[in-house]
Amino acid sequence: MKRILLSIFGILALAFATLTPAFAQSKGTVYYLVPTLLDEFQTGSVSALEMFLKQVGYEMKTLNADNKTDAQQSQMNDVIALKPAAIILAAVDFNALKPSVESARAAGIPVVEFDRPITSTKSDFTSVAGTVEIGHVAADSAEKLLKEKNGAVKGKILQVLGDPGDPYTLDIQKGFEEKMKAFPDVKIISLPAMQWEASNAGTIVSDQLQANPDIDLIFSHAAHLSVAAVASLESAGKKPGDIMLMSSNGAPVGLDLIRKGWLNVEVEQPLYAQAAAVAMLMDKIVNKQEIKPGEYDVIGLKGVVTNEEWGPNLKVPGAAIDKSNVDDPKFWGNQKPPTDKIKSVE
Amino acid sequence: MNPRTRRILEFVLDNLVWFMLLFVLAIFSAFVPNYFQLGIFANIIEASSVLGVMSIGLALVIIAGHMDLSVESVAALAAMAVGILFCSAGIGYGYQIHPEWLMVPVSIAVALAVGGIIGLFNGYLIVKAKMNAFIITLASYIWVRGLVLAISGGRSAQDLAPAIRWFGIQRLLGLPLTAWIAIGCFVVFSLIMAKTPFGRHLVMIGGNETATFRAGIRVTRNLILAFVLAGAIAGLSGWLLAVRTSGATANLGIGLLFNAFAAVVIGGVSLKGGVGSLPGVYAGVLLLSAINTAINLMGLPANFTQVIHGLLVLAAVMLDTFKQTIRQRLA
Repeated sequence: MKRILLSIFGILALAFATLTPAFAQSKGTVYYLVPTLLDEFQTGSVSALEMFLKQVGYEMKTLNADNKTDAQQSQMNDVIALKPAAIILAAVDFNALKPSVESARAAGIPVVEFDRPITSTKSDFTSVAGTVEIGHVAADSAEKLLKEKNGAVKGKILQVLGDPGDPYTLDIQKGFEEKMKAFPDVKIISLPAMQWEASNAGTIVSDQLQANPDIDLIFSHAAHLSVAAVASLESAGKKPGDIMLMSSNGAPVGLDLIRKGWLNVEVEQPLYAQAAAVAMLMDKIVNKQEIKPGEYDVIGLKGVVTNEEWGPNLKVPGAAIDKSNVDDPKFWGNQKPPTDKIKSVE
Repeated sequence: MNPRTRRILEFVLDNLVWFMLLFVLAIFSAFVPNYFQLGIFANIIEASSVLGVMSIGLALVIIAGHMDLSVESVAALAAMAVGILFCSAGIGYGYQIHPEWLMVPVSIAVALAVGGIIGLFNGYLIVKAKMNAFIITLASYIWVRGLVLAISGGRSAQDLAPAIRWFGIQRLLGLPLTAWIAIGCFVVFSLIMAKTPFGRHLVMIGGNETATFRAGIRVTRNLILAFVLAGAIAGLSGWLLAVRTSGATANLGIGLLFNAFAAVVIGGVSLKGGVGSLPGVYAGVLLLSAINTAINLMGLPANFTQVIHGLLVLAAVMLDTFKQTIRQRLA
């Protein structure tokens, strides 16, 4: 019995001994507060951030807020008590988390805003594609598609939003509509798919096809909503190309729909670049060093850091994906993470 | 009041939800542009198929004097199971069975089994272990949705096998087959509730469980069966959801539970148990779907749609309460 116990303790000691160097090499733990895991972009962001942060020596832990602002506020309070090297926050509500960000920074913990900027208070770093800018890129694509189809920028667009309580979708709508204002002959019908639920989007498309059979283009604010839109088009006897389709976020399902000919354009959020930028600058963020404004090469994409009222802000522009470039591995929807390891910015 | 007037009034009260539906359809047809057309009415029936089937299971356990909050998550899990097995893109494995039509019964069996097992689990804890139905099914609502997330990793499955998807595309008399499945379910379960001992026993159990037990009726067995049926029917609604959206996402079906409750209550089922009929529930489902469609067509600002939806549902429930008051006065 003694021997068995001694062997078990011996094995455990050996295991701890092998683990210790791994901990010793880690520069610290970074907490990522993700708004939800019911969305492919968010689940993709967890694996991308984890992978890139590991490459520069940080361990990452993730907390999911299930799209609840109060839950994320509690998570912030808990994480502050743990004194991590840094907190990466993708806020459920862009501004409700302001006091939590301020508390964390007051406790000496750097806060990074990921994908969802908080502009009402200072953060140590913000990495975004820009939700309003996604709307702009979508508007440019809509302009091009309508011109090709109708000879001029005119026609009817059905815009399927996400949940109307989510600032993310409202910002895309704002960006899209402010650019489309330049074209008075374009009528935009905007309807929300409550809780980002796919079958709600399908119902909207079915109803609108009856009420407005002359719809030229359907723009859904997430690729998974386009899947339901396509199912409704199919049920209505439509074939790929009968009605133009566009969506945003660049999820794998969107790229599949492009390959099948249903989707014309997917506006991608450069997930890998957004995540890589955070990791590349994490040493500077943790050590509270200055992040100089200017251009940065982020895994082959041009990221621009500017000093904003809310702190250093890196923007990596989103790209329009269509049939011509759908297989480009740089798009996160193709699920081929970059193989080259990133390096911390000196 | 003479007997003829009384009979007419009772007929109207018994079918008030159908009259409400006709009234709402007439109002929307008159005032909402593009509402009055066959295609829109077909959409209303089609859009109500998933909610309708889910509401049947929920109504059974409510009539039996209990409740099941897990039906929405169970539907999502069944949809995800079917999606993972029979979708060819995303996280789908794309399993093929030959001949292809066999995929239909197999996928339905998978969905029913997933739902039935969770229903059995709920039923056992509630009926045998005497635990609170609200808490047990609330826990299932949470853990089953968590399981959907865990097995999908937050990713989605798309491109359902054409043999299964066929039910969402093919139409009979202008309605997709999924809508006919929902109508068929309502007919079958309405007959079960009205014409079989099991149906009548459920109503009796919901009215007075102790008296039913003393009358020699197997309360425990019937109640567990009601939970198993609620789970299996929720599984079937998940199958319909997967067919309708050609796959499954981790958040599929979110929000359906509250609509199902609204439909059941509007349909005249008492939350206290022992009262209610399934045709009324179907009218409630159609009423909600008619309201939803009107909101879609009115093109209201996105921020206000939830408010309007909620207020219209509230109006429908208040009207139903008014009906109960008149009925009490008649009695």
